[in-house]
Amino acid sequence: MNPRAVTSDVLLGIVPIALSVALWQTIVSFGYAPVTLLPPPGHVFMRLAQQLATSEFQQEIAATLFRLFTGFSIAVILGVTVGLAAAASPAINAVVRPIVRVLAPLPKVALYPALLLLLGFGHESKITLVAADALFPILLSTYYGASMVEQKLIWSAMAAGTPRGQILFKVVLPAAVPSILTGCRIGLVISCIVVFLAEMITSTDGLGHLLVTAARTFQAVDMFVPLITISLLGLILNGLLQGLRSYLLRGFPEV
Amino acid sequence: MIAARALIARAAPWLACLGLLGAWQAAALIINTDSFPTAWEAIRAIPSILGDKESLINILASLRRMAIGFGAAVIVSIPLGLMMGRSRAVAAFFNPLLMVTYPVPKAALMPIIMLWLGVGDIAKMLVIFLGVSLPVIYHSFQGAKAVEEKMLWSGAAMGLWAPQRMIRIVLPAALPEILTGCRTGLVLALITMVTSEMIARQSGAGNILFNALDMGQYDTVYAMIIIIGAMGIGLDAAFENLRGRLVKWSEPGFEIPLSFA
Repeated sequence: MNPRAVTSDVLLGIVPIALSVALWQTIVSFGYAPVTLLPPPGHVFMRLAQQLATSEFQQEIAATLFRLFTGFSIAVILGVTVGLAAAASPAINAVVRPIVRVLAPLPKVALYPALLLLLGFGHESKITLVAADALFPILLSTYYGASMVEQKLIWSAMAAGTPRGQILFKVVLPAAVPSILTGCRIGLVISCIVVFLAEMITSTDGLGHLLVTAARTFQAVDMFVPLITISLLGLILNGLLQGLRSYLLRGFPEV
Repeated sequence: MIAARALIARAAPWLACLGLLGAWQAAALIINTDSFPTAWEAIRAIPSILGDKESLINILASLRRMAIGFGAAVIVSIPLGLMMGRSRAVAAFFNPLLMVTYPVPKAALMPIIMLWLGVGDIAKMLVIFLGVSLPVIYHSFQGAKAVEEKMLWSGAAMGLWAPQRMIRIVLPAALPEILTGCRTGLVLALITMVTSEMIARQSGAGNILFNALDMGQYDTVYAMIIIIGAMGIGLDAAFENLRGRLVKWSEPGFEIPLSFA
């Protein structure tokens, strides 16, 4: 794609976002919606900038990010390990597959009350929920990535004298990296969503808690701030992962 | 031998269910606290919930909201996704907006939407609609993008005009991918349904679940978890069945939906 086409695409893409903000502003300024229900966008963004500078708000973000990262990391480690093991060994596959088949479509949020009762109201229950939700996309994409590795690659590695035990790490894992990263990307978005929901249900800190507190006191402006923050966080994390992806996959033909 | 193997393959998910329930039972017996009843106790509480007229109406109301929200989302999202896949301009127009809204938890919009539309059905259906649309749009987009140009050219050469090509070539060719999106959306609809009812505690399955949690009726909590879980697994299996019939010609890329939240 030439740079000019990219620029025009970016410009075209900004249009609907700008339009929705403009629509938002018009609805407010023409008085279709009372300011208490729909604060003007200028107010919301001002408030966001203000809040981002305060240390309390930063602490809330830190709490959310801590849960998000811990849960996500657990999901990545577990998902990649189990996914690789299931792809490598038929016996493990026979056990893992039906369990995943049952657990993957289960709505994990419904498990949250049980996690609360078992693990308490602190970090643990939220981290477990995040990990449980992010696990399956990562596990499945690892599994599919690893089981679709070209047989020729494995044969040539064996012909070149790679010991059997090392093939998994030297051939299969690197070849499955693109697929694993796709799974991680889905898992990351899911983690963002789930950590926020868990904090909304029961929490004493974090962005989700901010939203609930604002909703209980009918502070419409403060309700928009955490929502925009989580959306920005998601975009930033996605960008970072994209960067990691192009760094890790620099030798691959198509990225 | 082949029959026996097929039988084992078919029974495996059920065995997995039994195994998980067994693990739960064992864990509950070892931990042995009030807040973690055994699997058997939870299962025994199910008939009293399903037998109770009020909770049954609640659960059915949930399912109705979910069906309407899901249906509306599918009807709107598939054409939008297909158009995005076939036209660069449309894709460039909508893509950034979708990227920005993707990490926003849709159920978190509930408090704001409640301010505008009240706590009733419409707010919840709207939230479900929003939650389901994104994956369906995304998968339809990917599916339509991957349609082979040659097929479209031959269609055009045979005198099909653009909307006809869309319906007769792009739609069937993208159908497997679209159905993957719908499957993701289905699980997502269930999750959004539960969370929206948890935030606006008025009726529904999520309401029963979290009210039981607040009142310390642990049997009911775990029984509702089983019921909601079974709904998820059942709907997913039913959809998979339907998908197998509709697109028998296409090898399923993934047996299990890859993306949901």
